[in-house]
Amino acid sequence: MNDLNIIEIKNLVKSYDNDKIIALNGINLEIKEGDFVSINGPSGSGKSTLLNMIGALDRADEGQITVAGVNLMKNQDFSEFRLNKIGFVFQLHNLIPNLTVHENVQTPMIELGIPDDEMEKRAIDLLRSVNLDNRLEQLPTKLSGGERQRVAIARALVNHPRIILSDEPTGALDSRMGDIILNLLREIHRKENVTLILVTHEEYVAQSADRIINMMDGKIIN
Amino acid sequence: MKFRSLIFKNIFRNKSRSALTVFGIAIGVAAVIGLGLLTEGLPSSAQNALTAGAADFSVIAKTTNIEGAPSGPGGMGEQQLISQDYVKEIQKISGVNSAVGVLRTMTNLDNSSASNSSTTNSSSQSPTGDFRSMTSLIGIDKNSLSMDDIVITNGTVFSGENEVIIGKRAAERSGKTIGNNITISNQTFQIVGIFETGNFQDDSGIVMSLDKLQNLTGDSGKISLILVKAENGTDTSKLANTIQNKYPNELTTSTSLSGMERMNEGLNVINTAVWGISLLAILIGGIIAVITMMKAVSERTREIGVLRAIGWSKKRIIKMIIGESILLSLIAIVIGIIIGISVVEILSSTHMLPGLQPSFSVLLFLKGIVVALLLGIIGGIYPAYRASKLEPTEALRYE
Repeated sequence: MNDLNIIEIKNLVKSYDNDKIIALNGINLEIKEGDFVSINGPSGSGKSTLLNMIGALDRADEGQITVAGVNLMKNQDFSEFRLNKIGFVFQLHNLIPNLTVHENVQTPMIELGIPDDEMEKRAIDLLRSVNLDNRLEQLPTKLSGGERQRVAIARALVNHPRIILSDEPTGALDSRMGDIILNLLREIHRKENVTLILVTHEEYVAQSADRIINMMDGKIIN
Repeated sequence: MKFRSLIFKNIFRNKSRSALTVFGIAIGVAAVIGLGLLTEGLPSSAQNALTAGAADFSVIAKTTNIEGAPSGPGGMGEQQLISQDYVKEIQKISGVNSAVGVLRTMTNLDNSSASNSSTTNSSSQSPTGDFRSMTSLIGIDKNSLSMDDIVITNGTVFSGENEVIIGKRAAERSGKTIGNNITISNQTFQIVGIFETGNFQDDSGIVMSLDKLQNLTGDSGKISLILVKAENGTDTSKLANTIQNKYPNELTTSTSLSGMERMNEGLNVINTAVWGISLLAILIGGIIAVITMMKAVSERTREIGVLRAIGWSKKRIIKMIIGESILLSLIAIVIGIIIGISVVEILSSTHMLPGLQPSFSVLLFLKGIVVALLLGIIGGIYPAYRASKLEPTEALRYE
């Protein structure tokens, strides 16, 4: 960890359905580079919306948000930012069903134009690190939930991101498999020194982070 | 993994839908190729039908009285005869395949008289039959009947001095047939064959040997016209000009341009109709391609959201979907060409298209390829545009 803020958010507001649903209601938040932060709260509290704002998957209505030095309030496409700075791990893994395990891990690298052999080597190394080097040619449908999530983690790491955003990574898993995934994320955070932000509604998962941010009704309450 | 490998894998994800897209585009290609094969062959087929075995043009006298021939009471107006010697001279001109002298005249068989510009009428009663008004008499070498479009449909060609063949219409109107006799200028001829030319006037006429008709009309060594057939690959217009230039004051040439013009007008109408049908097929193919590609993109909305989330640009998403469309188009090109050619070949081999000769040309296949690629690209552009406009969060929420 260091003292530099990798994420700075001021008075962030996001509403949907013509202001009928206020998802984020004046969020102020600073996260330092290398932190492991969990965002905790009940369903509808705005935690996933906040994660989407940090990952530039969605755009805020008001306020300021700067992530890894990039002003995300600008009206532009942030695909390059996501490609180079962010790694996503979704609750439902979201793997491409017709691609094999190692092909799925390679998909972000296609955009970078990395040579084929290097793409393949990097994907296999990462899959080895998540203990899936024996399932390289399997399709996602042939894998267990935990295995799919490990493929998703390998995919999130493939472009050496500075921040990993993980939305309910254990939500679809049993507790044993959930622990395995949580430990894997914690280990990656420690070894790679990436900033890890984990959204969860499960208290025990939240407790595994260095810092816990509790949300309720679109606001940070701690 | 290469980007193109991903595109290749994607088109095999939903085989039935990809097959439908290919089918849609292939319909358009098959229509363009199949109908094109037939219509591009139409001009040559029609021209062949018009000119098969027949002369390319005729040579006639340019000015009046070139032979100093006296005018007689011709039924269809007076004509100038030319010396039969021109036949041999024209035959020697480079590019001439064959030249045949023909004497044509008119006679009123009710009065049993043959007449032309140089013939003084002599009369005798026709023993039987009703030829009515004026009847064409054609004198031509028996081995060159095809040069004048004369096709014997029944019986044989004349061989003896007193044998003739009569036109189908003449036979019908006079009630005469093979084996009957006919009297022309006091001479009795036996009918040995019935012919047909497709020309109303000639089909009402009588054909005999050139010598006999010359003898009958007293025009020995004279002919009305020379039918000329050019050698293969020779420009008939140039050949006609050569002959005209060689005999500037004596001879001129005449082609059946009006027939060709009418044929071309008819072909233009057919071509327009064919393009209309092709466009309809292309339109149907295009609609199928757009709908199936839209469906393919719609089913992958969530996946496109994932690709956008992991950093794929809008441009990359568009490239992927257009790439899939183009790949499907390439498959459709092969299938469309096979279908187009097969249908035409089957129709040709079963004689359902009598007289039509399919014409293969590189341009036609290029048309088919362009149509397929356009259909593929157009079919992919809108779905690709829509996919690229999807916000990642919106796409990720899609169920």
